[in-house]
Amino acid sequence: MVDRIVFNIIQVLVVMTFAPLIKGVLNKLKEIIQSKRGPSIFQPYRDLWKLFHKDEVVSEQSSWIFRVTPYIVFVTPIFVTLLIPVLTGYPLFFAFMGDMLGGGFILALGGFFATLAAVDTANPYGPVGASRTRMVGFLAEPVFMIVFFTVSFIAGSTIPYIVQKQWVTPLANFFDPSHILLMLAFLMLIIAESGRIPVDNPSGHFELAMIDESKGLEYSGRAAALMKWGGAMKFFVLLCIFLNVLVTPWGLAQTEALSDVLLAIPLILVKMFGFILVLVVIESSLAKLRLFRITEFLGAAFITSMAAMITRLLEM
Amino acid sequence: MLDHNTTLSIFAKLDALAGGLFLLSAFGMVAMRQVLAYLNLFALQSVLLASSAFVLGYQYESNHLIAVAGITLVVKAVLITWLLRRTIDREVYARREISQALNIPSSLLIAMVLTIIVYFVSSPLLSFASDPTIKFNLPIGMAGLLIGAYVVTVRREAVPQVIGILSMENGAFFAGISIASSLPLIAELAAAFDVLIIALVMGLLTRRIHERVGTTAVGKMVSLREE
Amino acid sequence: MELIIILVIALLAAGLSLIPVGKKLAPAITNIGTLAIFLLSLRVAFVAIKSAEVVALKNWVACDSLGAIILLLVAFVGLTASIFSWGYVEKRVAVNNPYKIRRYYALYNLFLFSMLAIPMLSNIALVWIAVGLTTVSSVFLVAFDNTSESLEAAWKYIILTSMGAAFALLGVLILYWGLNTVGHGPFTWAELVKLSPGIPGDILKTAFIFILIGLGTKAGLVPFHTWLPDAYSQAPAPVCALLSIAESTTVLYVILRMQPILQGAAGNYAGVWFIVFGLISVGVAAFLIIQVKDLKRLFAFSTIEHMGIILVAAGIGGPAAWYAATLQIVSHALAKSFAFFATGSSLMATGNQDIASVRGLIRTSPVSAVSLAVAGLAIAGAPPFAVFLSEFSILKAGLTSGQYIASGLLAFFIVIAFWGVMYHINRMVFGRPEPGSKGIPLRASNITALLLAGAPIVLLGLFLPGPFNKLVHLASILLGR
Repeated sequence: MVDRIVFNIIQVLVVMTFAPLIKGVLNKLKEIIQSKRGPSIFQPYRDLWKLFHKDEVVSEQSSWIFRVTPYIVFVTPIFVTLLIPVLTGYPLFFAFMGDMLGGGFILALGGFFATLAAVDTANPYGPVGASRTRMVGFLAEPVFMIVFFTVSFIAGSTIPYIVQKQWVTPLANFFDPSHILLMLAFLMLIIAESGRIPVDNPSGHFELAMIDESKGLEYSGRAAALMKWGGAMKFFVLLCIFLNVLVTPWGLAQTEALSDVLLAIPLILVKMFGFILVLVVIESSLAKLRLFRITEFLGAAFITSMAAMITRLLEM
Repeated sequence: MLDHNTTLSIFAKLDALAGGLFLLSAFGMVAMRQVLAYLNLFALQSVLLASSAFVLGYQYESNHLIAVAGITLVVKAVLITWLLRRTIDREVYARREISQALNIPSSLLIAMVLTIIVYFVSSPLLSFASDPTIKFNLPIGMAGLLIGAYVVTVRREAVPQVIGILSMENGAFFAGISIASSLPLIAELAAAFDVLIIALVMGLLTRRIHERVGTTAVGKMVSLREE
Repeated sequence: MELIIILVIALLAAGLSLIPVGKKLAPAITNIGTLAIFLLSLRVAFVAIKSAEVVALKNWVACDSLGAIILLLVAFVGLTASIFSWGYVEKRVAVNNPYKIRRYYALYNLFLFSMLAIPMLSNIALVWIAVGLTTVSSVFLVAFDNTSESLEAAWKYIILTSMGAAFALLGVLILYWGLNTVGHGPFTWAELVKLSPGIPGDILKTAFIFILIGLGTKAGLVPFHTWLPDAYSQAPAPVCALLSIAESTTVLYVILRMQPILQGAAGNYAGVWFIVFGLISVGVAAFLIIQVKDLKRLFAFSTIEHMGIILVAAGIGGPAAWYAATLQIVSHALAKSFAFFATGSSLMATGNQDIASVRGLIRTSPVSAVSLAVAGLAIAGAPPFAVFLSEFSILKAGLTSGQYIASGLLAFFIVIAFWGVMYHINRMVFGRPEPGSKGIPLRASNITALLLAGAPIVLLGLFLPGPFNKLVHLASILLGR
């Protein structure tokens, strides 16, 4: 019992610690592919450190929403971390609190507050970004739903720990067409949800073309640090769900020995590194879509998840 | 819910995977805008067809199906793709967008509806399926056929229409390799060459239209209309 | 053996037509070839009357009495159309261009080859391939004028019929699956009919629907008919005569062959579809005939109408209706080929296929006027002609078997179509000729073809020769179980 609480805390710490690193590695790799030197992989930590030591400026016109949002954005991924398999293949102490749908809703709560806060300051760019984020979110939602339904339909459950076992018992299940198609659909969703190319350009600095970044423009100091850190953790958590539940359900601690759990940390980092390589290739080989083409991108994700559903139906 | 795991072998799974990707490539054809991407998708679909035939042939130790896989690979994935690329000059391929009667998201939805219809049409047949692979290949092939028919109806360019027809044939063959796996090889050989000849003739005709009318946007040719 | 020789002759003629010697060799070879083919098919037909089936290669190439009728029709039209082509192509299609003439005859023979193959192939997969070949070999005949209109028509033609072919392919494959559920016999019509009671009804029905849609596109059934009037209006007249037989009659023959297979497991499932599809085709075509502005389109719609009539007749069912349907196939093919020759002669005489601009043909070109009038009467079903006889027996069979609604509608549509055809033909034949219209005088070959094609439609309307009657009778038995 105590073990499981401790592991849960370790899990949260891992997410908090390594989330910026993943961002840093991603940025570095991308620059390398574009034949540039790029910032150090520890640059996100330095950014956070710097921001925490700066003064915070808050507009007098803004309401409590603006002030509360950074904390919500920071806390929601931590909550989700408690529910999902990051290091262990068995449910930990808090995992009873929610399933994958619950996790999705908690993450959506953070996004919701970020959107509200962007509108709150009346900065002209904030609402533009907010409405675009909503548009993408609005289109991504049904796909999320279908993906979750298909997953629960196949595994007979929405608990990530059960779903994860489904793909590898027996191993032939891994090659199930519905599984492969689901992975594809989920990958597209992650790209849309975390604002990567081709949906959004995270390293763009042109405010009119921004989708995700413009929401945080008004924050400074500690609040900005929390927003950035929270964003990095959200990305990390999404990758955890994608990798540990769908793509590579191996390498998680199966026993309650501390050594096993600690061994799982480098393994998850290696998996993430592998995935980031793929993501960088995708990002470097595609161009950003025009805003109204995003519908088609998400439409494709929707169709893919529906195809997964249909092949599943045919199998029965 | 879990009992199918024991009944489906790894081969059936691989075949089903080819089927799922086949269906996805059919959807992709509905969604593609560029002619070249469309052509590549067709080549991919043909490869998937060949791989499904190969998996089935390996499973049943049927040289005949493996030969079909080889023929499909050579004729459809290589020859026809090369032929269509040679047919018209690069100008058409360079153009980014294909004109289409309906926009892409609604086309995708229609393709979706077609697939669901196929599911209901084919489900009474599947109870006669002696083999689990029929359960994938027949409905997915049928869906490929209908989606291809939809693509031909909506697209207004010559080459995409040709590819649509070839993908319809891919769909029919995808169903065929599982339901009619013992059809005499001579018939399938002839069918493969029939497809090749059709592609050749359509290519020639496209060329002539391009020379004579100056465009390959066949959807805009409306001089023959019912008054 | 005759069957193989027929195919070889057609292929040889196609090859020899390309020999680059003058402009007389290719038509001469084609004429001789088609004559030989016709005589051989006559022989096949006589053998079929006696021994029910002519076998060249067991389970691959064989011809029963139904196939023999179709073969005979194709061969006859192939002969008359090749005679008609002699003058028509030289004077109108490829004026003094030896290269084009040779190409025309090579394609013509290839097209004829693929059509001749359909009735004599037993294996259904090969029949599908032959049907595909008819499209491929005729598409350049449709586009022969190389104008933008003819290319458009050819494009529509190949796209729509290829779509149909893909549907039919799936149908054929499902049919084969059905056959394999009860045994591993050869994939032939006879075997299917024999084993069909054991095949699950759902499989047969699905296969039938796909084949009906797929080949229905090729036969020109409404609503898949849109390519047909375009292709007919652009193709040279003799090719239209062939198209009307190839596209429509031989393909319809394949559809009709499905009927006995379905009667085993699924009741009269095919019959209901035949009646519905047939009535829609007859009705739509009858009303489209009225608004038509182009002479060739007129006969194109009339082809659709007749395909519908044959389908309805087959759908009504019973020996009398099947006999009438077979008779209708024959009479329509003969009358329609004659009609297209008449159209061709009027085109040569006036140089214009627009109905509104042709008046008083009887004064400018009496031969084409008379033949056009006869063709109109024959195809619309006026009394002394063969079509009248077959249509009348269809209606009679329908009424005696209690299909009052279907027969009533059929009769109504036939009357409308009759009126439509005669209205247009009447205006063209009589009236005041436009001054200054100049045409090409008809050649001897045209008139020979008109006489040859016209003789049987009159003769068969007056009396049916004994052997012929026997053949039709034998063939109609094959339409049922």
